[in-house]
Amino acid sequence: MSEVLTIRGLTKRFGGLVAVNGVDLRVEEKETVGIIGPNGSGKTTLFNLITGLFQPTAGQIVFMDRDVTSARPEQRVAAGMVRTFQLVSVFNSLRVWENLVLCVTRFDAAHSSIWKFMTSPATGGTIRDDCYGVLRLVGLEDKAGTMTSELSYGDKRLLEIAIALSLKPKLLLLDEPLSGLSDVEVVDILNLLRRIKRDVTIIIIEHKVSMIVDFVDRLCVMNEGRFVSEGEPSEVLRDPAVQKCYWGKEGTRGC
Amino acid sequence: MKPENRDIYELLIIAGSFLLLVPFLHTHRITDFMIFCIFVLSFDLLYGYMGRLSFGHLLYLGAGAYGAGLSLRHLTANPLLAILLGIAAACLLAMLAGLIVVRATGACFALINLAFNQTGWFLVMSPLRGITNGQDGFGIGAMRLGFFNFGSATFRFWFVLITLLLVFFLLKRVTSSPYGVLVRSIKEDETRVRFLGYNTYLYKWLTFVFSASVAGLSGALTALNYAYVNPNTMDVHKNVGAVFACLIGGAGRLYGALIGGVVYMLISNFLPLYVLRWEMFLGLALLIIVFRFRRGIWGSFEVWLSRAAASARLRAQSGKGAPVK
Repeated sequence: MSEVLTIRGLTKRFGGLVAVNGVDLRVEEKETVGIIGPNGSGKTTLFNLITGLFQPTAGQIVFMDRDVTSARPEQRVAAGMVRTFQLVSVFNSLRVWENLVLCVTRFDAAHSSIWKFMTSPATGGTIRDDCYGVLRLVGLEDKAGTMTSELSYGDKRLLEIAIALSLKPKLLLLDEPLSGLSDVEVVDILNLLRRIKRDVTIIIIEHKVSMIVDFVDRLCVMNEGRFVSEGEPSEVLRDPAVQKCYWGKEGTRGC
Repeated sequence: MKPENRDIYELLIIAGSFLLLVPFLHTHRITDFMIFCIFVLSFDLLYGYMGRLSFGHLLYLGAGAYGAGLSLRHLTANPLLAILLGIAAACLLAMLAGLIVVRATGACFALINLAFNQTGWFLVMSPLRGITNGQDGFGIGAMRLGFFNFGSATFRFWFVLITLLLVFFLLKRVTSSPYGVLVRSIKEDETRVRFLGYNTYLYKWLTFVFSASVAGLSGALTALNYAYVNPNTMDVHKNVGAVFACLIGGAGRLYGALIGGVVYMLISNFLPLYVLRWEMFLGLALLIIVFRFRRGIWGSFEVWLSRAAASARLRAQSGKGAPVK
């Protein structure tokens, strides 16, 4: 298997605070990597660095054999690096299906020219059908016509993942996709992620460790801006260093 | 109803609405209203759709007016070519200014535009006085090319009406396209749009230039309608009028821009005849809009319409479900 993402010595300083401190990470194709760690350990900052929202103070990011360290977010998306956000990020002022229009048209030959992109109707051609197709995949087809602001939080999460999937990612970075969801919604999203896991490389940040232990191939534990442990999930969770940083005491809790 | 038929009906309704004003107002004044509506449509694309409030959009109206006026004075006797040159002047200016302007958001965006507008006004008032004739402005002489007789108020009325319909149709196509979705998405969350793989800087610049070009068209038409151009065409204080019109009609809605444009022009043209401090009532109207009708006239009408449709559906469903006695 080839490497999809390689990170070397990634560092981010905010004044005197070192949020990410010399992180190294290699992610293989079709691998699912989980990143856990206490609040403020630098997980989301790491995502922001990988996806280009922040520029690193030091280090290198190689994605699909291409150095993307200084590439803009949209260039990384074009290369196949897609993310979701910690706080669910969808367009509330649009209808549910309209959230997918911009994703679908990226791959639509009929909208390849700027003139067609600017003048052909968003409801025309195959755009609407394609949007509905993606919504069917996540079980939101019956809500396609409603305003996004009227969706429940769980449905917004599903929509956000639908947006990410419609961008045909090679690497999908999910930032706490299960946070704020009911147990039923967590099961729905995990089932969806299990379905797509075969085709996409995934990095997932999650607080609900027990929920993703069976889902990820490899688990990385972050504390104070660096990885303190990395490996097979059940082994990592037994690591005393992990138990200390994550739960505060050594050997007091299992996963 | 087929979409293309719907477009035709909509255009006919708009044309009919302006024609209904003919018995009550002089055609020159209605032409003025329609030109202002074109300007408000251009402003609405920037403010209502993309969420970028500009206090300097009149610069591009002025550029269009001076571009067309100076072309007719020095370059050509063809009024249609002069209109195109007016649009080109506004477009070129926006292409340059836009490179800086669209990097800003919020208050910075509004104030940088204001600064550019003020600079433009100062340039035509003083340093470029030799060309623009400063505060006095200049008149435009021959405005006729065969059938296109801009000396006739009736011809100007029909020409501007058709231009307004074309601009409305074009903007409707554009705002209903994926690009329209992109522009509305930028208004809500620009960062998110970048993470969909779009270079938002490029599209913001494009929207800015497009909007300014339409404003330039309204400026060129203003020059032809008055056969006169002076620095008032880019007076920074008049930017407020476009903001009011957008808010009164309903920002982010093309019909809102038309309704707001007409209502603002009616207020600003006729209220001063009866009330000395008429601007005070405009201020009160703005307060009412902000606190009670944030969606403006058209937006509120849309809400009322959707509620009426929903309650009609409910009534129909409960009627079907009622037991037969």
